[in-house]
This record gives sequence, structure tokens and C-alpha cells, in this order.
Amino acid sequence: MSGVRPTKGYLMEMKRRIGFIERGCEFLKLKRDHLAKELSASLDILKGRRKLLLNNLKEAYDALTAAYISLGPTEVDSQASSVKSALQLEVLPRSVMGVRYPYVKIISKPQITTDLDITLARAAEKIYEILEELVQLAEYEARAERIADELGKTNRKVNALENTVIPNYKQVIKFIGSKLDEESLEELVRMKRIGGALASRRK
Amino acid sequence: MKLDLTYVVIRAHARIANLLNHQQTQRLTESKDVQEFLDRLAETSYGRISIEGAEVVPIALEKVFYEKFLERVLKIIDLTPQVMGDVLKTYYYLRLETLNLKRILRGKFSGLPPTKILESLVPISPYHIRSYNELAELGSVNEVVQHLKGTPYSGVISKLNLYEKHEAIWPLELELSHIFASSIFEVVKSLPGKDRPVIHDIVEFEADIENFLVAVKQRQGPKTEVKLEEIFPTTYGIPLDKLREVMETKDLRKVIQSLGESYVKVLSPIYEGDVALIRTGLRRHKYEVITHARASNEFGFYVIMAYLIYSEIEKDNLVGIGWGKAQGIPSQDLMKYVVIHR
Repeated sequence: MSGVRPTKGYLMEMKRRIGFIERGCEFLKLKRDHLAKELSASLDILKGRRKLLLNNLKEAYDALTAAYISLGPTEVDSQASSVKSALQLEVLPRSVMGVRYPYVKIISKPQITTDLDITLARAAEKIYEILEELVQLAEYEARAERIADELGKTNRKVNALENTVIPNYKQVIKFIGSKLDEESLEELVRMKRIGGALASRRK
Repeated sequence: MKLDLTYVVIRAHARIANLLNHQQTQRLTESKDVQEFLDRLAETSYGRISIEGAEVVPIALEKVFYEKFLERVLKIIDLTPQVMGDVLKTYYYLRLETLNLKRILRGKFSGLPPTKILESLVPISPYHIRSYNELAELGSVNEVVQHLKGTPYSGVISKLNLYEKHEAIWPLELELSHIFASSIFEVVKSLPGKDRPVIHDIVEFEADIENFLVAVKQRQGPKTEVKLEEIFPTTYGIPLDKLREVMETKDLRKVIQSLGESYVKVLSPIYEGDVALIRTGLRRHKYEVITHARASNEFGFYVIMAYLIYSEIEKDNLVGIGWGKAQGIPSQDLMKYVVIHR
């Protein structure tokens, strides 16, 4: 217990600190529970959406494969370049329990003109249909990932507080308490002895 | 060096025998990746192909297969007697040049830099125009079209108003296809009567199928106020009223059935929604038409034509397989798009 001053002032300071740490720990536990709830909700949504999207993605990818095999990669690239307006996105920050995650806002979607070959137009349509879902899924994945990250961090903090920091403080308080008790007992004995000596002298 | 037709036909026969057979093509589609595909290809007449340092592997492969195909075309055209050589030159070079012009127009339309446009072109030397570089360097679609004045493509200039009206390049692309078809028919007139029908059949059938696909696409898209004659400047076996029906009918099957057996055979994959298989069917149709024509006279012009058509089909197969292998697509999914030489 090096560096510990067994004084009443220090004991009071320690008690104030542990009270503060325990309140912080409670808040962290609340945060952890809330994040766990958020994560499980996000994962449920992700699972459902991903399953739906996987089917649509398969269809879109098959259509794209057909276009590439039918036209050849250079022709696909050439025709795709004639789609003038591209997908424009804005990534904005959002926060849940102080965890920042990206929120993707679609500013403009690509316009499929009639210039595309039918195979490519079909593939483009399929991708166009799932574009919004795909962006939302990416957003949910990023959100779940960040929440899981933060949950891990919070959990580690709570564990450290509960298993190391708070017990250490309690030990210090106990040590100071017993030291102070010891000192006050010694003081009492001393006082008693002095009192006894003074009384016998008066006799 | 122009040689006697019989000699060229015998050379074509020998080269047909060197094309990839069913077993080799199947083995290529079964490769697990691009490297194995290249290794297996090295065991064929193609030899070892190097695509080292390629930015996009499938595009580099496509370029190589185009070059190999064009080498074959050039070698045969070089030997073929004048009139037949001119027909083949028009059929291949004009077709590929119109494809390049379409790519230049698209590039200009979307504002691609000239280097990107030039990279996208089929590797042929200019045929009717002076230089691709010159066209790619021009500032706009308008300038490119105006630059075609004095070439066989000058008809495109008359479609500039439609381009401006619709703010789309399809009128220019359609006109280029129309120019190709009319030029080939013009030059075919110089062939002996017995050698003409198959080229007519192939070019017309291809144009019909492309018209049909455009009509199917119009069905799905928003209704536009474009005149049918503008969308389909040239029609052959599928007339305008049938194309209108395709665009308006609820029962596409009924319209297809009314078109005749060869159309039904090629167009039927549309019932399952697989439009890419229609193009495979079109290639198969070409293959069957020319094989049938070749069988009727094993020592005539059709043998040379057959060799070039088989070579082009082989090139398309290899481009498709190369792309599929780069994407890790299983062989059974690729095989349905492959037309195999038997």
C-alpha cells in the first residue's frame, strides 16, 4: 500500500472517489445494456434484410453476367459510360449512445437511358431496384459494427471497474479504516493510561 | 497476294480443322481460374497468351482474342480473290468500324477522355475513316459526326437533329447499323448469285433480332413519343407492324409464334427472361446457316465465310469464358452461352 496516506482526509477523498466510480460504473452498465439491446435489434434487421437482398443480388448478378457474356466486357464498359448521371451519395454522421455511425443519404440515382443494350438495361434495372436496399444494408452493417465495437469497449471498462478498480479502492479504504481504528485505539489506551497516572498522582 | 479460289477454300478447310473442338472448349470452361484457363489455352493452337501487367484481365483477354481473330480475317482476306475479298472486308471491317464509331460517340457523349475512348476500341486500323485518334480528340458528339462528312458514314449527319431532340445517341447508333447493312447488301451484289443468299440471310436475321430486342426493351421502358420509323430505320423479316405488336402486346409468345420457326428457335429464351441466350441463339443460327450452306458446296465461297464465322463465334466464346473465369463463374453457367463447333 505504498503512497497511501492513512489519514481521515485521504479516507474521505477515497470514499468520494469510489462513490463517483461506482456511479460511473452503473452508467456504463446502463450503456452496455442499451448497446446490447441496440445491437441485437440491428442484427435481427440485418439478418432479415440480408436474406432478402441476397436473392435480389443473385438475380442482379446473373443479369450482369448475362450482359457481360453477351456483349463482352469492353462493350459493357462502353455502354455503361453512356449513363450520364451517376449515383451521388452524402455520408452524414449519426449517433446512438454516443456511438457515431455513418448515415448514407442518396442525393441522386443514375438515370438509365434507352441507349443501353437490352441485356445491360435489364441488369441495370435489377441493380437499380436494390440500390437503395444495398445502401441501407451497408449503413446497418456499419452501425452494427460500430455498436459491437463500442459494446466490447464498454464491457471491458465495466469489467475493469468491477473487478479491479473498485476492489482496489475498497481495499485501500479498508486499510486506511483499520489503520485509523488502530490509531484511535492506541490513542484511547494512551489517554486511559495518562488518565490513570494522573489519578494515582492526585491520590 | 490474291490466290485462286480453290486454293483459298482448301486453306479454309485446313484452318477449320484447327479451330477449337467441343472437347477443348469444354475443358476451357471447366478451368478453375484464369491461370488454368490460360494454361489449357496454351495447349491449343492459340499457344501461350501473355496478359502480364494487364489492369483488367478480362478486357486484356478480349483484346488478345480480337487480335487473334482479326489476324485470321486479314490472312484470309489477303488471299481471297478480289470480289469475295471485298465482301468479306466490308462484312468484317465495316462492322467493326461502325462498332468503334459507336464507342467513340458514346465516349464523347459521356465526356470520357480520349485515351479511355481509344482503349475501348476494337484493335483494327481505320477502314473508311482517316484516324480514330483524330475522332477521339474532337470536343463533342456533334464534331465527331460532322467529321464523318465525305465518308460512307456521312448519313449519320442527317440524324443529328434526332440526337439533339432526344438528347440520346441511339439515333446515331441505329443509323450506323443501317449504313453497315445497306453497304454490305450493295457490295454483295458483286458476288455470283449463288453466293449471295446466305450473307443476306445472316445480316437480315441479325438485324431482325436486334430490332426485336429493342422492341422488347421499349415495352418495359417508359412510353416515348418516338416514331417507329425512327427507332427501326431498317426492317427485314420482322416488319414494323410486328415490332409494334411486340411493343404493345400482353402475349409476347403469340407474336413470336407468328414469326416463323427460325425466329421462334432463337427468341424462345425470352419466355424465361434470359435475353442473353437470344444472342447465343443468334450465333448458333449463324453457325447452322453457314454450315448448311457450306455442306451444299464444299469448294465454294461459303467455306471461307464459314471459317470466318466459326472463328468469330470462337472469339466470342473465349471472351465469355475468359470473363467468366475471372469472375469465378461455374462451367455449367458458362456452357449455356457457348456455341460449340462440332
